[in-house]
Amino acid sequence: MDAIVNDFTLNIATANGTGSQSANLILLHSMFEMGVPVSGKNLFPSNISGLPTWYIIRVSDAGYQAPGDRTHFQIVMNKDTWFKDVNGAEPGTIIIYNEDVKMPVERDDCLVFGMPMTKMARAISPKMAKMIANMYYVGALQHLLGIDQDALERAVNRQFKGKTSAVESNLKAIEEGRLYAEENIEWNQPYSLEEREKKEGQFLVDGNEAIALGSIYGGINMLSWYPITPSSSIAEGIIQWLPELRNTEEGDATCAVVQAEDELAAAGMVVGAGWAGGRGMTCTSGPGISLMSEFVGLAYFAEIPGVIWDVNRVGPSTGLPTRTQQGDLNLLREASHGDTDHIVLIPGTVEECFEFGWRAFDYAERFQTLIFGFSDLDLGMNNWLCSGFEYPDEPMDRGKVIRTKEQMDAVENYGRYRDVDGDGIPYRTLPGSGLDPILYRGTGHDEDGVYSEDPIVYRELMKRLKRKSDNAREILPAPILKEEKEQEVGIIYMGSMENTIQEIDDIMEETGIKVSQCRVRALPLHSEIEAFVERHEKVIVLEINRDGQLYGVLRKELPIHLVPKIISVAYSDGLPPRARFYAERILRSLEGAVE
Amino acid sequence: MSEKKSPRPVKLNVIELPKTDYTGGPSSLCPGCGHDQISNVIIQACWENGIEPHRIAKMSGIGCSSKTPAYFLGQSHGFNTVHGRMPSVTTGANMINKDLVYLGVSGDGDSASIGIGQFIHAIRRNLNMVYIIENNGVYGLTKGQYSATVEKGSRKRKGTANEQPPIDMCKLAINLGCGFVARSFSGAKKQLTALLKAALSHKGMAVIDVISPCVTFANNDESYRSYGYVKDHEEELHGIDYIHHFEPIAEVDIPEGQFEDVKLFDGSTLRLETIDQTYDHKDPTAALAALHHAEIEKKHITGLLHHNTDMPTAAEDQGLVDIPLCDLSEDLMRPSKERHSQMMAKFRM
Repeated sequence: MDAIVNDFTLNIATANGTGSQSANLILLHSMFEMGVPVSGKNLFPSNISGLPTWYIIRVSDAGYQAPGDRTHFQIVMNKDTWFKDVNGAEPGTIIIYNEDVKMPVERDDCLVFGMPMTKMARAISPKMAKMIANMYYVGALQHLLGIDQDALERAVNRQFKGKTSAVESNLKAIEEGRLYAEENIEWNQPYSLEEREKKEGQFLVDGNEAIALGSIYGGINMLSWYPITPSSSIAEGIIQWLPELRNTEEGDATCAVVQAEDELAAAGMVVGAGWAGGRGMTCTSGPGISLMSEFVGLAYFAEIPGVIWDVNRVGPSTGLPTRTQQGDLNLLREASHGDTDHIVLIPGTVEECFEFGWRAFDYAERFQTLIFGFSDLDLGMNNWLCSGFEYPDEPMDRGKVIRTKEQMDAVENYGRYRDVDGDGIPYRTLPGSGLDPILYRGTGHDEDGVYSEDPIVYRELMKRLKRKSDNAREILPAPILKEEKEQEVGIIYMGSMENTIQEIDDIMEETGIKVSQCRVRALPLHSEIEAFVERHEKVIVLEINRDGQLYGVLRKELPIHLVPKIISVAYSDGLPPRARFYAERILRSLEGAVE
Repeated sequence: MSEKKSPRPVKLNVIELPKTDYTGGPSSLCPGCGHDQISNVIIQACWENGIEPHRIAKMSGIGCSSKTPAYFLGQSHGFNTVHGRMPSVTTGANMINKDLVYLGVSGDGDSASIGIGQFIHAIRRNLNMVYIIENNGVYGLTKGQYSATVEKGSRKRKGTANEQPPIDMCKLAINLGCGFVARSFSGAKKQLTALLKAALSHKGMAVIDVISPCVTFANNDESYRSYGYVKDHEEELHGIDYIHHFEPIAEVDIPEGQFEDVKLFDGSTLRLETIDQTYDHKDPTAALAALHHAEIEKKHITGLLHHNTDMPTAAEDQGLVDIPLCDLSEDLMRPSKERHSQMMAKFRM
C-alpha cells in the first residue's frame, strides 16, 4: 500500500456538552504545531448538552480546507448517532470507538478498534470521566498517525491555558490512550502525518474574532448587540479585547457596550450613535436582520452611518441555527421597504474579516449610510489559517462632517441633503455643534431636511441616493481575479466559498476544464465583474443557497447581452461546501449549457 | 443714524437669549390640540432653565406627538425616528454624546404599545433623558382608534366605549424603579412647566405622563381624557413651584410643615406645597397606591408622583472617558502599532 501522507479526513462523532471540543481542538492544534496544513469544522446542534456534534478535521498538504469527500477515520463516541456513524462509514474506514458505550460495531469491511475510554478515564478522575474520556481517542490517534509529543503538549497547554491540574490529567489520559493503542492495535494502514515547515507567523483564528478585532481598529464607539448564534462571539470578542486595545492609559473606556433588549433596539442604538457622530455597530444573524430592517431603511433614507454584521445561518425563519448558508444576500442588499440598495462587504478569509471590520466604519461615514458586513457560520465560527492582521496604516475616513463655523462657511449653499459636490454625498453637522441644526426624519424631506411630499423633491432625492451608491462601486473592495488564459469558463463566487474554490478548481482541471475565478467582495458590483463576464464564454455563479441570490444580483445589474452567459449553481444543505459536490454540479450545468 | 426703539425691551433668560431662540416652526396639529400646549411649555421651560438650545437633542417616535419637535426648539438637532423606537435611538446617541440634554417626546400609541419594550428598557438602564408622553388615549394620525392607555369605560366621540383595562405608564415606570415620575395635564401650564423644569434638572430618566386631550376624536364628555372631564376629575397631589439653582429661594408665607423642598441634581429645588400631608413622594408604594385608588375612583392625580436621585445613569455605567465619544481623537479610536504587535504576538504564541 502506498503511503498516504498528510491527506485524509477525520470525523469525530460526540454529543455536545461532553468536553469533546477540547479534545478536538487539541488534535487540530497539535497537527498545526507540526506545520501540517489542517482545518477543522464543527457541526454542532442548537443545544447546550446532549445532542450530536461532529467535528471534521481535514488534513491536506494541498491546503484544501473544505471537508473531504470521504472520511478516513471515524471516531464514534455518541450512542444516539452510533448506527448512523458506524453504518455510514465507507468500506475501509478506520473506526475508533468507546467500548464503554456498549453498542455493537459490526463492520467486517472496516478496521475497527474499541477502547474502554470511560472506564480508563474514571481511574484518573471519577468526576471528570465524561470529559477526559475524549482524550483517549486523541492518544490513539497520536499513536496511529504519529503526532509529535512536543506539539501535542503545546496544544494541551494552550487549550487549558496552562492550568496545571487540567493539563496533567488530560496529558495522562492521552498517554494512556496512546499506550493502549500501541499494545492493542495492529497498524498496517497507509495514513500518517509528517512534519512540515511551519510558516512563520501563522496561527489559527475564527472569522468572528477577526471581525471583532477589525471593529476595534476601526474605532468602534458603541457596540449594541442581542445574542444570536452564530454572531455572538463577535460581540464577545469585542468585549474581551476592548480593555487591552482601546482603554485610555487611565483605564477609561472609549467604546460603550450595550446588550440590547432585542434586535430592533440594537439597530436603533446604531442609528442613534451614527446620528450623534460616533461609530456604532451591531452584529446579528438573519433573524436579527429581519427585525432590524425598519431601522436599516431609516438609516438609508435619513443618511445615518452605521455598521451591521450578519453572520449567516440557515434560514428561512429560525431555520438551522447552527448550520451555514449564504442565504441572506438578497435580504441585506434590499433590506427594508421601498427602494433601497445597501452596501454589502463580503469577506472570504479571516484576514479580510479583520480588514473589512475596520473599513466598514470608513465606508459608513464616507457614504453616510448603513454598511452591512456579510459573513457566515462556516467562516465565522470555524478556525482558519491566518497569516496575520495587517495594521490599518491610513487615516480614518470620517466623511463630510462640518465641525466648525469656518468649515460651514466654506461650503457654498449648505443644506443637509444638498449635493453640493456632485458626488451624491451631502455634508452633515452633528448634534451639539450648534451648526445648522435640523430635525432628522424618516419622512420625505427636501435638501434642507424639511418635510416634503413634493413629487420632484422626492424623485430627486431617490435619484441622488442611487447616484451615491453607484459612485461607491469603484471605491469598495474590488473582486479578486485569478484568470486562465483560455477564458472559457469563469466562476463567480463570494465569501466562505473561498475555502473550497481551489479544490473545486483542481477537480475541474482534472476533467480538462480550466476555470478562471472571480471572487465578489462587495455590493454594489464593481465594474471589473462585468468585464470578467464579458471576457469569458461561460460564467458559473456559485453560491451556498437555494435560489442563486448572487446570480440574481448579476442578472439584475449586468447588461442584458451578458445575462445568457451566466449560469447559476446554487446548493445549500446546511453543511459547509464539499468540493466534489459543487464541482459535479458545475460540470453538469456546463453540459446543460452546451446542450 | 436713526435709532429705533422697541416699545418693550425683549426679555432675556439667564444666558441672555430671547424666548424666540427656543421656538420652532408653525404647528400642523388640529387647532386646540393639547400637544401644542405642551410644545409651548417645552419652549418656556427650556428658556427659563437657560439651557443653550444647541445642547438639547429632541427625540421622538411616530404619531401626532412625535411630529411636535418640528414646532419647538428650532435651534436644536432632533430626530423624528420610527414608531416606538425613540428610546433606542436616544440610547445610542447618549452613549456617543453623554453631555447633551435629551428631550424625548412620545405618545401613548408610541410608548404604551409598539414601543413599550423600549420604554421599559430605557428606564431599566436609567437613560439620562426627559421622556414626555403626550397621552390622549387615541391614535390621532390614523383617525382615532383607542390606544392602550385609555381607561376602561371611556368613550371617544364615535363608536363604542373601550372595554380593555388601561396601561398606566406612571405605574409601570415606578415599578421599574424610575427615579422621576410625574403626571400632569396639558391644560395645567404652571404645574407642567414646573415639573418639566424639574425633570430637566434631574439626572437619569425622568418620565412625565401628560394627559393631553385629543380635540378631534376624544374631547366629548364621555371621554375620560377630554378637557371637561379632566378639569372636573383632576386631583393635584400638591401645589408646585420650581426654584432655579441660580435664583435665591424666596421666603414664602406657607406655614412650616406644609411644604417640602425636593433638591434636584443640578441644585435647583422643586417646592411641593403639600395638600395631602400623608403622601410621600420618596415611597414608590405610596405612589402606586395613590394611582390605584385614582383609577378606581375614575380620577386623575397629577404632580410629582415619585422621586429618587441615587442611581447611576446608563452612560455612567460604562466607565467612559470624560470627553464625549463623538469628539475622540483618532489615537484613542485605534490601537497603536505597538499594541498591534503585542496583540499579534499573543496570537502567534
